Amino acid sequence: MSAIKIQDLSYMYDDGTAAIENVSFEIENGEAVALIGPNGAGKSTLLLHLNGILHSATSFESIRILDEPVDPKKIHEMPKKIGIVFQNADDMLFMPLLGDDVAFGPINLGLEKDEVQRRVKDALEMVGLAGYEHRVPHHLSGGEKRRAALATVLSMEPEILAMDEPTANLDPKSRRELIEILRRLKEKGKTLLIITHDVNAIPELAERVIVLNKTVIADGPTRDIFFRNRNACEDRPGCACDNAAL
Amino acid sequence: MYAGLSSPIRRWDPRLKVISIFALIFSIMLLYDLKLVIISMLFAIILVYISRIPFSFVVGRLKWVFLFLMPFLVILPFTIIGEGVEIAHFSSITLNFRGMESVEFAVMIVIKALTSVMLIFPMIGTSRMDVTIKALEGLHLPNKLVQMFAFTYRYIFVLSNEFMLMERSLTSRGFRRGSNLYTITTLSKAIATLFVMSYEQAERVFYAMRSKGYTGKITTMHEFTLRPQDWLYTVVVCGFAIFVQVAVWYGTLEGT
Repeated sequence: MSAIKIQDLSYMYDDGTAAIENVSFEIENGEAVALIGPNGAGKSTLLLHLNGILHSATSFESIRILDEPVDPKKIHEMPKKIGIVFQNADDMLFMPLLGDDVAFGPINLGLEKDEVQRRVKDALEMVGLAGYEHRVPHHLSGGEKRRAALATVLSMEPEILAMDEPTANLDPKSRRELIEILRRLKEKGKTLLIITHDVNAIPELAERVIVLNKTVIADGPTRDIFFRNRNACEDRPGCACDNAAL
Repeated sequence: MYAGLSSPIRRWDPRLKVISIFALIFSIMLLYDLKLVIISMLFAIILVYISRIPFSFVVGRLKWVFLFLMPFLVILPFTIIGEGVEIAHFSSITLNFRGMESVEFAVMIVIKALTSVMLIFPMIGTSRMDVTIKALEGLHLPNKLVQMFAFTYRYIFVLSNEFMLMERSLTSRGFRRGSNLYTITTLSKAIATLFVMSYEQAERVFYAMRSKGYTGKITTMHEFTLRPQDWLYTVVVCGFAIFVQVAVWYGTLEGT
């Protein structure tokens, strides 16, 4: 069963600018995929389509999550299937206490109080923030906020995790901690879709890379994509296509 | 800032605290007797004392409120309807002093306002903001109102941090604050940018909320337990609110 299946997805902004054009790819259950591309390539826009937050007249037919179409009228049912971690952790931590933030999703899923509490505890433990329930989000460090944002999604126990630049602007220690968490999730069999510019982290996190620049310009195993790119560069002295693509 | 201080007011159940102090403020606002207003102010001072919030902190905040109230003291004695004694005459404008009663009235308005603001300190300042927000939710206040309150509190720090970064950026490029039009226009533009940024962030937060199943209502987990002392404090504060109203009623009866 495919976790994410996208067929000819296009999206235009209100001003008529094309954000993504004819994007097609399929991600299998349990696969870990890195989505790379230059700034403005439409990566974040694509991410917001996966749970129906952004949608167009054709997106209903173009996207299938766990073999079901994404219905914009049923966005509230999507967190069970796919959890999205936004780039800016402050956008995700909007409650007075971290415990409330982590409980926000499970409560919306209509879970019982005991189950919500268990999930909050487990999610915080998973990201190394056990006992942080009563901490105020805006007092957390940048690395802690990023892990906390991940916990707010993990508490909903989605089958697919999609993340927008999880390691951006983190110090080496925080970056390493986050990569370890993602590796553990990958080992547990979660389907991961990671948008990143951190090319050094990709081999550790993803076995497959999709290069997006409004449309999919490359898709394949991580080693092949980077090797192909390197060879292409070597054939053309002075070529900066790898920088341009990443 | 003083939410961590140990005091009976801090230990008071936040839901009962909010209700009781609101009732007291409401009762004080209905008063039109200077003596009762002064007694209420003394009661408010006692509450601040018990809450252990430093008076210097409270007075520091009240002086700004007083600045807004000062015009009442100046204007009211000359503007209340009734006969007055002419004390000055400027072309077609005549300044009439309406007697000591109008001064008393102005003083009463100012004391009432200061007392009400003073009572906010033991109400809000003795609990962490998240506890107060949960208390409002526990009181079944309209959810939209609680959400607005919670978001304002949460993002005011983010926005003030953004403004601080913006100001640093301006300073690093040679901007110096001054009392001139250039400073006003520059800071106005910075604030306008902040508004645009906050709008965009609001949109992103909304996306994040919808991604987590938000359908318009926020529910949090809170466990408040009522103790006998909570009821005792409630009876004392609400009792005082009722007492001043009864005193007004009794005074009116005696007058007739």
